[in-house]
Amino acid sequence: MTNTYYEFFCPVKVIAGKAALEHIPYELTGLAAKRPMIVTDKGVRAAGLLDPVIAACEESGLEIISIYDDVPPDSSTTVVRDIAAIYRKEKCDSIIAVGGGSAIDTGKAVNILVSEGGTDIAKYAGAGVLKHPLKPFFVVPTTAGTGSEVTSVAVITDEKKGVKLPFTSSFLLPNAAIIDPRMTLTLPPHITAATAMDAMTHAVESFTCMAKNPLSDAYATAAIKKVSQSLLHVMDNPKDSDGRLELAQASTMAGIAFSNSMVGLVHSLGHATGAICHLPHGLCMSLYLPYVLEYNLETIRQPLGELLLYLEGPEIYAATPASRRAEASISALRKLRDALYKRCQLPRTLKETGKVSEDQLDHIAEMALDDGSIMFNPKEVSLKDARAVLQRAWA
Amino acid sequence: MLAKRIQPLAFQARRLYVELMFQVMGRALQAVSEVDSEVQGEAQALPKGFLFEMMVMPEGAKLIVEHIGNGRFHYHGGSAPRPADVSIKFKHIAHAFLVLSFQEKTAVAFANDRMLVDGDVSYAVRMTRILNRLESFILPKIIAKRAVKEYPENLHLPEKLISAAQIYLKVATHFVQTARA
Ligand SMILES: [Fe+2]
Repeated sequence: MTNTYYEFFCPVKVIAGKAALEHIPYELTGLAAKRPMIVTDKGVRAAGLLDPVIAACEESGLEIISIYDDVPPDSSTTVVRDIAAIYRKEKCDSIIAVGGGSAIDTGKAVNILVSEGGTDIAKYAGAGVLKHPLKPFFVVPTTAGTGSEVTSVAVITDEKKGVKLPFTSSFLLPNAAIIDPRMTLTLPPHITAATAMDAMTHAVESFTCMAKNPLSDAYATAAIKKVSQSLLHVMDNPKDSDGRLELAQASTMAGIAFSNSMVGLVHSLGHATGAICHLPHGLCMSLYLPYVLEYNLETIRQPLGELLLYLEGPEIYAATPASRRAEASISALRKLRDALYKRCQLPRTLKETGKVSEDQLDHIAEMALDDGSIMFNPKEVSLKDARAVLQRAWA
Repeated sequence: MLAKRIQPLAFQARRLYVELMFQVMGRALQAVSEVDSEVQGEAQALPKGFLFEMMVMPEGAKLIVEHIGNGRFHYHGGSAPRPADVSIKFKHIAHAFLVLSFQEKTAVAFANDRMLVDGDVSYAVRMTRILNRLESFILPKIIAKRAVKEYPENLHLPEKLISAAQIYLKVATHFVQTARA
């Protein structure tokens, strides 16, 4: 399964660690930006997460010109147009997205409009439409999971047509991602768990799917090691900022890995389940991960076995015969899920979610089969196969 | 221009091969959509008038088919009546040659960044499944195995032989018709 050819690209400057936010003013002035706009959501503002960002800028004499804090969980073309209008009216010259996947995607899309002009974001949908660099754009993630701060994709809903528009371009990548442990310190337990399992899934899938390559492998294994070592510790000590930083970095590393080597069936099933049953993405990832690995097992035995080292550490890896390591990796992930269930009832089966009925499985399977990430799953998936995996994940 | 002076014949042969394979695939796609219920089932989910294109960047050979309803495809040759809804673009003729000469699986070529997808990804995924089914039909099993991730289990020899014969027959007729026209 080694690739004879691959590409790897990540031009995002990562600014990570204690007092990372205080680097924003310096980095912005380095790009000749003086009038930043913050794009965020109500939850982030209510949690007080904007305060340290604003304080860090004002202390350096950099004024935040405008704050838009009304990004919905599923961002739309209308929201993007409205924010772009404010940006223009206030004569801003750069964007700082503070938040999770939706705020970050919105920031990316707003950056397209304010850089390329116009009010119709749909015009720029698709791959490779953008041909020029955009305005200075910074991302401050407030969840540790999506990895959106290092991906070149944004998804925005077109409300009128009722479709999701994908935007793909390396110009969507932010100039800098600021990873500060203060931003994830107050994440509630179930979100901490679900988002960390999203990061774990990004890393595991990128390491076992078709587009794996030596560079993404290095990021993936490092991310798996960090999540394995820190997640339960953070669940038990939510205020531990070292642990929080470990998870945040793991999320970014896993993001770098999967944006270069893609994901597979876990995400296909997760995207379909999210759309049909409205379950959070991270929860779906955690739920499907072991079942999909079992489905792919014979195709990915070698790489999955290698992951045992990062999931369980050198002693257990060495003590496990090579022929049993792939199964042991799956057991390690199941053990982690059990531990998370004990701490915050993160569901392990579709039944445990209480939000899925068995008669929806056919629909989920059909939708998953049309999901783009299924292309990169190492084993071919038929409708029957997808349905069988869902059945195993049922209870 | 320098490369042209060095290996003109090899380059020309590769270009001709890709053009020919596009023609064979285009005709076979139309033929298989007339006989195979599985392909029809997959294609039925595509909108009527849906245009699918495979092309070599920047302005190389093209394969264009249209879904004309009820799961049937119509092969348009190398020129589209309007912009395609889904386009699979090989970055270079060398990459198209790797895939079309079955040295690199379609899915691997995707994974290796050999080609780009423009348009609705879910339709692109569906078209890839149809192309996989097509390849396992028209190619001898030993070559088909190299071209697709998994050879379909439900494609038993008699069915395959009969259908392949039907398709070859139809492809041949199409060739003759085009040659006459
Ligand atoms: Fe994910």
